[in-house]
Amino acid sequence: MTSSYTPKVQGQGFRASVQRLGGHLAAMVMPNIGAFLAWGLITALFIPTGWFPNKTLAELVGPIISILLPVLIGYTGGRLVHGQRGAVVGAVATMGLVVGADVPMILGAMIIGPLTAYVLKLFDGLVENKIRPGFEMLVDNFSAGIIGGVMAIGGVYGIGPVVEWFTKQAGSGVDWLVDKDLLPLTSVLVEPAKVLFLNNAINHGVFGPLGMAEAADKGKSILFMIESNPGPGLGLLLAFMVFGPRALRPSAPAAIIVQFLGGIHEIYFPYVLMKPKLILAMICGGAAGVGTFMITGAGLVATPSPGSIFAYLAVTPKGDYFGVVLGVVIATAVTFAIASALLGFGRGEPAEDPLGPDEETIVDPDEATNKSAKLEV
Amino acid sequence: MPTINGTEIKKVVVACDAGMGSSVMLASQLRRQLAKNAVTVEHTPVNSIPADADVVICHRGLAARARVSAPDKVIVPIQVFIGDPAVTKVVNAVQRGGELSG
Repeated sequence: MTSSYTPKVQGQGFRASVQRLGGHLAAMVMPNIGAFLAWGLITALFIPTGWFPNKTLAELVGPIISILLPVLIGYTGGRLVHGQRGAVVGAVATMGLVVGADVPMILGAMIIGPLTAYVLKLFDGLVENKIRPGFEMLVDNFSAGIIGGVMAIGGVYGIGPVVEWFTKQAGSGVDWLVDKDLLPLTSVLVEPAKVLFLNNAINHGVFGPLGMAEAADKGKSILFMIESNPGPGLGLLLAFMVFGPRALRPSAPAAIIVQFLGGIHEIYFPYVLMKPKLILAMICGGAAGVGTFMITGAGLVATPSPGSIFAYLAVTPKGDYFGVVLGVVIATAVTFAIASALLGFGRGEPAEDPLGPDEETIVDPDEATNKSAKLEV
Repeated sequence: MPTINGTEIKKVVVACDAGMGSSVMLASQLRRQLAKNAVTVEHTPVNSIPADADVVICHRGLAARARVSAPDKVIVPIQVFIGDPAVTKVVNAVQRGGELSG
């Protein structure tokens, strides 16, 4: 199994640790994306500036974002740490943040949910095997009830105000970046981190919660679009399709369908990792997209997840279609142009395989029989 | 380094960061290729690889995390999500036997 193509797996490393932390954040949000989209669609349709303004249905908007979504995240975060019991106390404790807060407590829920579950886990470990037979249920139920309740109270007075302050600071930091026209610079960090598989961590761990705070306030947010724009990936894959190494060209069209229409951006990361200088094209394309969104004042009402063009259009508020589509198109074009240039427009592309002998398996007859199955993803 | 014979493989796990995107796609391709074999294919987050997995497939960028979460499993790192030779090797090992290590 080991060859120059598939290097040995070893070590933990800094990147793996950051990925792991980010993975935990994303793991709290991603199972709940359906609820975020339900909220986004209801908002886009029924608020006063939406497609079908409806006062009764618009009543759903506030409670879902301020209560349901944080509680779901606190629940999921608790479950990750300590199963169903952790989930329950995580949800209870999150209510302590939600009550009285005037920003959506998504970030806070990501802290208090797992934390409360962890406290319960410690308690459960402490009393394990020490409970008199017959008292297990009594101890289990009351330990969860008391710990959940205490943490909820702690949330109201302690964690809540701190997270609210932090969310507001982060929000004004973003406003400052927008005011000074600096938001496109975030692509310099975001695009390289993304191809190192920090995409979920960045989008669902950082931009998602901040975006929800802004969307609850202003009805839409540009932050949802910084990491998730499908344009740069499309531009890169198009460049590979036309000018990439010959062995890789046939796989690009299927990758485009998966990435741009299906929204699974991971599919293009390997193409960048193979030719790291292409990260420059990703950064420029990403920045061009963010810049376009910023200039046209575009935003989305909820996290487009997965980052498919369909998800984008579904959560675009009425009136923002021009800016959103333009940003995707410009990001695609800029990435394509720079990536093509970096690939030398296909000139000097050797006729044989550039990646070494292992790559030949892609075109070996054995593989060809599977090819039709592979491409219909 | 753990090894396994292809004929002993009962469960292949495809792992990605969230267990919801690229792993689902790759797992569904793999399931189709292994439809005639008595092998289950699952997709999971790389942080929670199930204990009964025989072989774990994940992108090489996530392989270090897979190693931490499943230290005694055969881990097959891949580079591309469509048509990776490493995946073909797993399929061949399952269908015709042969040692896998990693």
